[in-house]
Amino acid sequence: MDMSGADFVRGMALLGAGIAMGLGAIGPGVGEGYAAGKACEAVGRKPEEAGLLTRTMLVGQAVSESTGIYSLVVALLLMFVVK
Amino acid sequence: MTWENFEMIRAGAVLGAGFSVGFAAIGAAVGEGYAAGKASQTLAYRPELSGDVLKTMLVGQAVAETAGIFGLVIAMLLLFTPNAAQPTIAAWAFLGAGLAMGLSAIGCGIGAGLPAGSACLGIGRQPSASAQLTTLMLIGAGVAQSTAIYGFLIALLLLFKKLPDVVSMPGICALVGAGLAMGFGAIGPGIGEGIAAENAVYQVARNPENGTLLTRTMLVGQAVAESTGIYSLVIALLLILGT
Repeated sequence: MDMSGADFVRGMALLGAGIAMGLGAIGPGVGEGYAAGKACEAVGRKPEEAGLLTRTMLVGQAVSESTGIYSLVVALLLMFVVK
Repeated sequence: MTWENFEMIRAGAVLGAGFSVGFAAIGAAVGEGYAAGKASQTLAYRPELSGDVLKTMLVGQAVAETAGIFGLVIAMLLLFTPNAAQPTIAAWAFLGAGLAMGLSAIGCGIGAGLPAGSACLGIGRQPSASAQLTTLMLIGAGVAQSTAIYGFLIALLLLFKKLPDVVSMPGICALVGAGLAMGFGAIGPGIGEGIAAENAVYQVARNPENGTLLTRTMLVGQAVAESTGIYSLVIALLLILGT
């Protein structure tokens, strides 16, 4: 296998994209699930506040999602911009 | 050190098989143990419910076990599908397949065990709602399994895709990177969706008349938690098909 420096950089960028998206997805997944779990608990205690609780859950999850989106952006940059 | 092409492929495949079944076993076992622990906890104060609790525990454990079985299936495929006609780069695809399946099964095994545990606790609290609890447990655990199914799909794609003959550094890294992206990416959503289902099942046991509302809240929350798993699937597919 012949390997130029450019090939090596491109390869590492693709491997990095995989690791970035993979590890980056762990946190948001657990965090958003935790928010959803606590929202279910709260709805169970006060069903009449379901609208407010769902809204609060979604806002919290949206913030928690942000690092997942950073990972996605970085992975896409590594795949399509780094040459 | 001179290696035959086929020895290289087999080396990648056996290492991948080890990763696949080894990592997958972690999640399934933790999830099932959690369910068994909660079942014992319930039976300590409601021994007369042993039939219902044991049945629900076993159903819940069976769902958690599927992630482990996916890992076993991929390991078996990795041991028996490689053949000498494949190009050398297949070794790296097999390694990626093992990583995708094994790592993705960790989260989903744990995630499927969490609602099983709270269903056992819930039956102890509200024995009359056991059918409703088992149904919600199965829905929640089923959603938590979804990312393991993505991992399984990526592993199958890596196993059976037609690969180019040239071995290049970007090609190798794309195949292994796809496995890592899908594998690690599935851990978080699996556990998170399990936490959501766990709380929903337990709250239904407290007030079974809130079942519909709680199912809806659980599914909305799980759908958001699933999003990063889907990003990982997209990145893995781009890495496999784009190269």
